[in-house]
Amino acid sequence: MRSIDIHAHLTPQCFIRAMRDGREWHGVKPGEMGIGPRNSWTPEQRIDDMNSLGVDVHVVSTFSFYYYYERDPQIILPMHRECNDEVYQMTVDYPDRFKGMAIIPMQNVNLAIEELDRCVNRMGFVGAMIDDHVNGKTYDDPEFMPLWKAAEEMGAVMLVHQQGGRTLVRDRNPNYHLHNTIGNLVDRAVTFASFVFGGVMDACPNLRVCLCHGGGYTCFGAGRMDRGWQVRPEARVNISNPPSSYLNKFYYDCLTHSEPALRMLIDTVGIDKVIFGTDWPADMAIDWPVSWVLGLESLTLEEKEAILYKNLENLLGI
Amino acid sequence: MRSIDIHAHIAPLAASHLPEGQTWHGFTRREMNGRQFLVQGEKRQWLHPAYSLTADERIAYMDSVNVDVHVLTTWVGMYNYDLPGDVGAGIARECNDYVAELTRSHPDRFAGMATLPMQDVNAAVAELERAVNELGLKGAQIADHVNNKTLDHEDFIPFWSAAEQLGALIFFHQEGDDTIVKPRDTKGWAIDNSIGNLSDRVVTFGTLVFGGVLDRFPDLKVCLAHGGGFTCFGAGRLDRGWQVRSEARELGANIPSTYLNKVYYDCLTHSEAVLRYMIDSVGIDRIFLGSDYPYDMGIDEPTGWVNSLESLTQDEKEAILWKNLERVLGV
Repeated sequence: MRSIDIHAHLTPQCFIRAMRDGREWHGVKPGEMGIGPRNSWTPEQRIDDMNSLGVDVHVVSTFSFYYYYERDPQIILPMHRECNDEVYQMTVDYPDRFKGMAIIPMQNVNLAIEELDRCVNRMGFVGAMIDDHVNGKTYDDPEFMPLWKAAEEMGAVMLVHQQGGRTLVRDRNPNYHLHNTIGNLVDRAVTFASFVFGGVMDACPNLRVCLCHGGGYTCFGAGRMDRGWQVRPEARVNISNPPSSYLNKFYYDCLTHSEPALRMLIDTVGIDKVIFGTDWPADMAIDWPVSWVLGLESLTLEEKEAILYKNLENLLGI
Repeated sequence: MRSIDIHAHIAPLAASHLPEGQTWHGFTRREMNGRQFLVQGEKRQWLHPAYSLTADERIAYMDSVNVDVHVLTTWVGMYNYDLPGDVGAGIARECNDYVAELTRSHPDRFAGMATLPMQDVNAAVAELERAVNELGLKGAQIADHVNNKTLDHEDFIPFWSAAEQLGALIFFHQEGDDTIVKPRDTKGWAIDNSIGNLSDRVVTFGTLVFGGVLDRFPDLKVCLAHGGGFTCFGAGRLDRGWQVRSEARELGANIPSTYLNKVYYDCLTHSEAVLRYMIDSVGIDRIFLGSDYPYDMGIDEPTGWVNSLESLTQDEKEAILWKNLERVLGV
């Protein structure tokens, strides 16, 4: 059975080479960022690993460490371009194994649109990966509307993924890895809320947003969001339907680390909205992702096929 | 069928009926936009209109929604952890005396939980001992953090030790909109509450488990309000973190999901599917009726709602509505 992974990251070789040579790279100094052993693998080593896992296609996204939204966009745009060019080359060299997911400088929406356009329309990328917020600004901010309109028009997928460690949990307690194990899931629910309560999904009904980590706590928290929408007028300013009615407007990867959580996700958002995503090569990834999905007793074979490849084939046309 | 509600707030009469111009522990009363507030410096504590009800009026409401017993917790405007410890201790004593008086005058309708000055752990321990041993209260309600210190901090070890020894139930409930989501709730869609309360509760579960509190005090009785928030749904990722990150294993001895059935939860989920998921994850003996009276984010008809749920058996409904709380609190 085919399998297409929407959530698979890249530490760019161009960055690794600069660090090994002791060169500064778009403002990043040697030693500033560590490189794990698996992160430095070449495309060929990566394909070997994909083969061992039974994964056919990686939709390759540059790691979230390279967002750098807080830095000067004139420095970061060339960085992102270099990353995207490297991903593009991977898709040229191995068109059956890699698809491209862009990284774009969200601190400047015009430049972000330009780079998204270059990647999608000229290089065949499927969309872009973005953080849950841009320097504290959430995606309901009118500043981002031109990007959503552009993405909608291009049919680009916006893959939402936090920047490592910098989630809302960190300020409450920085210990025990909770900023990731809880924080990623909190941030994703807040992003769902920003798109929904902010009216973005109404303004852009064909916008394709995929929420990583199973959308975090989104589907589980929809009941209380609905209650808030019912009793608080400020929650109804932009939307005339309850938040839960928007659950099936988004896509979600299957990275839940829990069969009952995945089952609930499917039952809540619909099987056509859940797609295969592993978080390769992070330690918080699913170790044997294809086997994991295939081994789930509470899913039908049709549901497994939908998750592993059919939904992404339909969504991305690949 | 009996029903006992663990999540029902109240304010002491001295605060809710504070005459204009008088002060109460440094607060004055002020009307703003048609609402009554207790005001002290920058602090604004909204006094819900229901707090002006007499005990008999409250009981009439309880009868109207078929709730037999409110386990009374003061509203979170009484936390005041940011105020000096002696002020907090004074407020707590007055709250606890008031709640105790109601439980004595209406023992069939009210049980009580204490308010504690958590900014001064020794004072909090002393007040918890007084509340449980002298006033007959069942435990205490505390916030998810004390001036941004979570409850796994070593400062709170004496508190947990006392709570365990006293058999006190510790009920976790955020202070107002002061949740981790607040920084991104810039437009006021109430997600500081709708997502924030649930986020804060899972962080509390995480800190108690990973911080080793539940290992160190195995007989501790903790109840997480709002269905424990996202706790049970997020347990799989907590387990993964525990497996792959050494910093997650330093203090907590076991896989996080194995602690799900060591704490209690109320049923305030606003979703049948979520409550069903919770029962299947944490066990039916761990879930209490909790309505969040008198707030708009509460359950309008708490007993009616539980009784209407088609995916729960009659035994499960009875466990939630009263049997679990009868067993755990002896009410």
